[in-house]
Amino acid sequence: MASSPSMLTKFESKSSRAKGIAFHPKRPWILVSLHSSTIQLWDYRMGTLIDRFEEHDGPVRGIDFHPTQPLFVSGGDDYKIKVWSYQTRRCLFTLNGHLDYVRTVFFHHELPWILSASDDQTIRIWNWQNRSLICTMTGHNHYAMCAQFHPKEDLIVSASLDQSVRVWDISGLRKKHSAPTSMTFEDQMARANQQQADMFGNTDAVVKFVLEGHDRGVNWVSFHPTLPLIVSAGDDRLIKLWRMSETKAWEVDTCRGHFQNASACLFHPHQDLILSVGEDKTVRVWDLNKRTSVQSFKRENDRFWVVAAHPEINLFAAGHDNGVMVFKLERERPASSLYQNTLFYITKDKHVRSYDFTKNAESPSLLSLRKFGNSWVPPRTLSYNPAERAILVTSPVDSGTYELITLPKDAGGAADPTDMKKGSGTSAVFVARNRFAVFSTSTQNIEIKDLSNSMTKSFKAPTGTTDVVFGGTGCLLCLTPSNVVLYDIQQKKQLAELSVTGVKYVSWSNDGMYAALLSKHNVTIVNKQLEQVSTLHETIRIKSATWDDSGVLLYSTLNHIKYTLLNGDNGIVRTLDQTMYLVKVKARSVYCLDRAAKPRVLTIDPTEYRFKLALVKRNYDEMLQIIKTSSLVGQSIISYLQKKGYPEIALQFVQDPQTRFELAIECGNLEVATEMAKQIDKPKIWTRLGSEALVHGNHQIVEMTYQKLRNFDKLSFLYLCTGDEEKLTRMAKIAEHRGDFVSRFQNALYLGDVESRIQMFKEIDLYPLAYLTAKSHGMTEECETILEMTGLTEDQISMPDVGTGLNIPSAIAPTHKANWPTKEAAHSSFEKALLGEVGGPVDETEPNLLEEDMPVVAAQDKNGLAAEDEEEAAEGWDMGDDIGLEAAGNDSDFVNVDNADVPADSTGPGSSEADLWSRNSPLAADHVASGSFETAMQLLNRQVGAVNFAPLKPRFLEVYQASRTFLTASAGVPAIINYVRRNIDETDSRKVLPLIPRDLESLTTIDLQEGYTAMRTNKLENGVTTFKEILHSLLVNVVSSQSQVDDAKALITKAMEYTLAMSIELERRSLSTSGGEDSLKRQLELSAYFTVPKLDVSHRQLALMAAMRLAFTNKQFSSALSFANRVLANGGAAKLVDQAKKTKTQAERSGSTDAIDIEYDQFADFDICAASFTPIYSGSQSVSCPFDGAKYQTQYKGQVCRMCEVCEIGAAASGLRLWVQGL
Amino acid sequence: MDPFSGESELVNVITAFYTHAYQTVLSFDTSSLSSTNKPVAQNFKYRAQIALGQNREVVSALSKSRDATSRSLVALAKNDVSEALNLAESSDSEDATVQICAGTVLGANGEYAKAVELLSKHQGSLEAVALLTQLHLVNNRTDLALKEVQAAKRWAQDSLLINMAEAWANLRVGGQEKYQSAYYVYEELASAPGNQSPTALVGQAVAELHLGRTEEAEAALNQALESEKPDIQAIANSIVLQYVTGKGNGEKTKELKGLLTQRDSEHQLLADLVEKESLFDTAATKYSAKAAS
Repeated sequence: MASSPSMLTKFESKSSRAKGIAFHPKRPWILVSLHSSTIQLWDYRMGTLIDRFEEHDGPVRGIDFHPTQPLFVSGGDDYKIKVWSYQTRRCLFTLNGHLDYVRTVFFHHELPWILSASDDQTIRIWNWQNRSLICTMTGHNHYAMCAQFHPKEDLIVSASLDQSVRVWDISGLRKKHSAPTSMTFEDQMARANQQQADMFGNTDAVVKFVLEGHDRGVNWVSFHPTLPLIVSAGDDRLIKLWRMSETKAWEVDTCRGHFQNASACLFHPHQDLILSVGEDKTVRVWDLNKRTSVQSFKRENDRFWVVAAHPEINLFAAGHDNGVMVFKLERERPASSLYQNTLFYITKDKHVRSYDFTKNAESPSLLSLRKFGNSWVPPRTLSYNPAERAILVTSPVDSGTYELITLPKDAGGAADPTDMKKGSGTSAVFVARNRFAVFSTSTQNIEIKDLSNSMTKSFKAPTGTTDVVFGGTGCLLCLTPSNVVLYDIQQKKQLAELSVTGVKYVSWSNDGMYAALLSKHNVTIVNKQLEQVSTLHETIRIKSATWDDSGVLLYSTLNHIKYTLLNGDNGIVRTLDQTMYLVKVKARSVYCLDRAAKPRVLTIDPTEYRFKLALVKRNYDEMLQIIKTSSLVGQSIISYLQKKGYPEIALQFVQDPQTRFELAIECGNLEVATEMAKQIDKPKIWTRLGSEALVHGNHQIVEMTYQKLRNFDKLSFLYLCTGDEEKLTRMAKIAEHRGDFVSRFQNALYLGDVESRIQMFKEIDLYPLAYLTAKSHGMTEECETILEMTGLTEDQISMPDVGTGLNIPSAIAPTHKANWPTKEAAHSSFEKALLGEVGGPVDETEPNLLEEDMPVVAAQDKNGLAAEDEEEAAEGWDMGDDIGLEAAGNDSDFVNVDNADVPADSTGPGSSEADLWSRNSPLAADHVASGSFETAMQLLNRQVGAVNFAPLKPRFLEVYQASRTFLTASAGVPAIINYVRRNIDETDSRKVLPLIPRDLESLTTIDLQEGYTAMRTNKLENGVTTFKEILHSLLVNVVSSQSQVDDAKALITKAMEYTLAMSIELERRSLSTSGGEDSLKRQLELSAYFTVPKLDVSHRQLALMAAMRLAFTNKQFSSALSFANRVLANGGAAKLVDQAKKTKTQAERSGSTDAIDIEYDQFADFDICAASFTPIYSGSQSVSCPFDGAKYQTQYKGQVCRMCEVCEIGAAASGLRLWVQGL
Repeated sequence: MDPFSGESELVNVITAFYTHAYQTVLSFDTSSLSSTNKPVAQNFKYRAQIALGQNREVVSALSKSRDATSRSLVALAKNDVSEALNLAESSDSEDATVQICAGTVLGANGEYAKAVELLSKHQGSLEAVALLTQLHLVNNRTDLALKEVQAAKRWAQDSLLINMAEAWANLRVGGQEKYQSAYYVYEELASAPGNQSPTALVGQAVAELHLGRTEEAEAALNQALESEKPDIQAIANSIVLQYVTGKGNGEKTKELKGLLTQRDSEHQLLADLVEKESLFDTAATKYSAKAAS
């Protein structure tokens, strides 16, 4: 018989013998009725006793919760049935009637009925609403031990010590008691008669079947929740299974195993299992279909009396001699393993599935594990190996087994594994790409095996190891009940040990730097050296944990998802209504598996922990972002910030002036403090502000607070200190005004104002002092006046030694004018970020010309459209704004270079991959990468007439150097050179090709934009360089499709046009402005030609505006008008258009004539010769560059193209090849 | 006893030596080793010294010893080809250390055939296998290198050296899968406890570079470059990466090249570059425009 190694006990209570148990249908509660007359209400999740009910006299055997109401019912040996309210915590009423012990009591699932079975041999039905007995069923001729309602039908089943099980039909009773509204008189009569008949026998409840088969009394009987099955347990130690149909019932089979009286039994609510308990101290689980034992669990000393099942979740309770235990039959934690964006997990029906987080999609079954382990025991763990796409599954069956299975490439449905290797061991986990570790608790050995399942090494696990888990590459974490040990497999050595009790699960962070050790109530975070980083305690069970990419641990308890940062700060993320096993966090989504192993996505608000994390990492920008975009909950975050010593950040959240003031004082932000003090305006606040400001040395604020507080003395002293004589004088006046003599005296002293002091003494009749003062300051006249006033003479006065007069030192520095360099208010970088944010919307990336907000007219007037100004290249085009960076490439013409085949050059035989490249490809770039420069040059010469290779040197070397990597191997031997490919999937040596850096895409997205920027910001020299570089890069390049070939050619043309345009403009600028009419004429021409190349519209506008302005200043009104018209035709920014309009009107007013006749016909169609910058009218002869298509006057044939600087103008060429089909 | 089996006391020395953590090799405490392993460890220490450029010290330490092992180490220290050849042809060519040392000298000096001949005499020496693999690869005989690795895998799958040798070969053979598998080897090496050598990082970066994962490669290389005395190949590969990502003409490349010149002015990359530049210049002179402008 298979026995489970241990029962998954969730809760145990200690008490006297438990006779009855009932689960609350929703809450985590059980009622336990005891032999000692007490009824207990437990919270089995928290393990706390919620309440006790003690009104019965003697043992209480029957107990049941009402399915919906806050009621429960109990029946005891005092013959009483009591109905209780657990809300008011008292007995509501008692149903009396039974004449002996009441054995069981049950509520009906919908009707207001209670069913009781009693030793008085009757089974009774009570209506608890009107508290009356409505039916008594007699028939058993010994104690009725148990009676239960059918969960759906109008049936009752009862068990008795008379050895029989009876099934009763109570449909009559239901009819009688259903609503009597639409009843005819006859019906009522009939009913009355029926009721009459009750008195004699049973029309309400009739025996349907009597099931005989037990040889002793039957203790318990239960219906199957859905099937027409009955299970009974008897003193004959048997569990019997019965089946019934409409008309008959019969015994199906017997489960033998109990070796003492079987006390109770029931059907598993969802699975095909039977549970039974007995006085032989065992709980047994049977297969309903095979009637074989699946599991059994034995208690040392306690006989079992009762068993109950939770109606919904996988939870059972059994009552025994010393209390109750709540247990599970199987682990509900689904075995799963996460790899990057895929979760592999095993479903309840034992299929391996994967879940893709990027698509949020569940895969079909990859594999069926039906045959693995025992059908009733789900696999415990799953370990995934991405390199081999293999999984390791462990199961606790047969004291631990594992299987190594390679996952099929495609999810072809529920196939049984074809290739699998198995072995025995408690834990098995991949430790490296081609190794896994198997641990067995019985031998305490860890074996390292390779993928063929053969052992490569073996060693003893640290003593007491119960489980091993992945510990970083090449390492294992060995979990013992009191320790976690980090073990290096290679060295067979303990690297570290940490004392943490009861660790059951380990969750590694995504970067492998940290791990969370989960025990029942603790989370300990360690780094990969197993040094403890932080730990936290939960009062409630911790179920699972997973890491956010940013290094925040999210963990789930029975009812919450919480987070903890590495520093131990934690908090609640959200509540859970059922247990979830977290597997991954991505942005606002938490992915988890529920108890049914279904992937779920829960939405969370990560703001709080992100904020705290940003705070810890001092990532102020992110904090700012969070503050701006989300509404953080006020008080908690403020106190958190304050506690953590970030008052300046807390300040950003607070509105309440008082709190703001406190925070501002705390972080020394006097400005805010002052502002707040003004709002609050209370003396106490001002005093605090004053003393704080004094500490800072900010005397201006101190002054203000003293003024507010009317603290004259201090104010005077402050002015003295700061040397503010003027204000001190004013203080003296104020003192005089207030009639405060002491103050006057003080101020006079501070000011060194002897006269006013004497004056004051005189006023208060202190003549001796006045005299003395005058005397000591040598004011003889004043002395005499005083003597006169008092009518005394000098001789009559005896004088002390007067000494010298008080000399007031004069202020050296005018401190009062400004604050001292005050103590730097702690402006954190956060605040700076905040201020910066508010302060300047400076977008550095925007070129300055867009910023220049000069009114166009004013600019015109000031500059008078001066040509000189244009030459200051750095100044930008100053034409107002809105010349956006528009989408590239819509008006480029294609250069049609035909793709005639060039015969592949055969190079000499070579064996390195680089040699293969040049053999595999007819493209010049590939030859360059292979280092075969000669053939590359030959190719280019044939394709585009390249003759001047010097400018291509950087490009050649760039391509060449990007093609080889260096790998050190053994010491002393040159490094291994490997060749970087662009087709990394290719393994056929005839098809491998080198990587060519700066492909078309990067040229378009980076270099081209750079060129545009140069154009926009008027950095034309740079622009020419950039565009020429684009030309060179494209000349030695490859693309991957025909459409890309077209794109590349378009880009070549575009680069050429820009190079040409910029060259023309640069040429114009190089002409001296004072060179007389010829020079001016040429300048005007060039500025007109500048508008000819095919630039993007926004850039063409720049050229047109420049040309228009130059023409206008030089009274070329006709040209100016034409340019203005073109600007207007192109439209665009308002300023541009305004200016063009203005020019247009002025030009028209001025007669639309040109002062100088230039070679520019605005109506003709022409190209510009790239060498001479002269027009080539359509129809006239010209030559062009075979690569970029630049046009030239015929005399330039044979020279090097001015644009690309590589190819020969007018050379015969087959056209550039960038792509070959099939490569 | 096979010194490379996982049981060995020497596993740390060997791992350190082959991840080029020579200082670790030198600081390894040999006192607790068994008498058979002690001289083996000492030989590794000599070789580590040579790799660190302390050739003279090794020569003077061993100048008095006349046994074949010492002579081969001296030959390695002096890069003495003729002595290596002597040893290869002598009866001492059965000795594992002699094979490795002489084989290295020969391999490094272009005596590919001789080196292979010597090394092929090995009897279950993983070092010899690794060296052979490398020599085959350097001489573009990928087929032979693969054969060597496959054969060794049959009897020594668990060894770091064979894993590395396989990774070398895989990087040459290429294809997404092989690159990835090489990457795993180096990743594993890099995440091994106590590993501070840049070799693993560089290997990882090279594999990633071949896989086209330039950002990751850059991260790994930057990490390797952060050290006080960055690995030469880390610098070289960083230069390559600069070119691959199209930033080859930037300041960073110049800086790196300066650094490389400073550390190893004869590095293949630099030598190759000089050669190619002159090749370019010569080749370019064959062409000129028909008309001067």
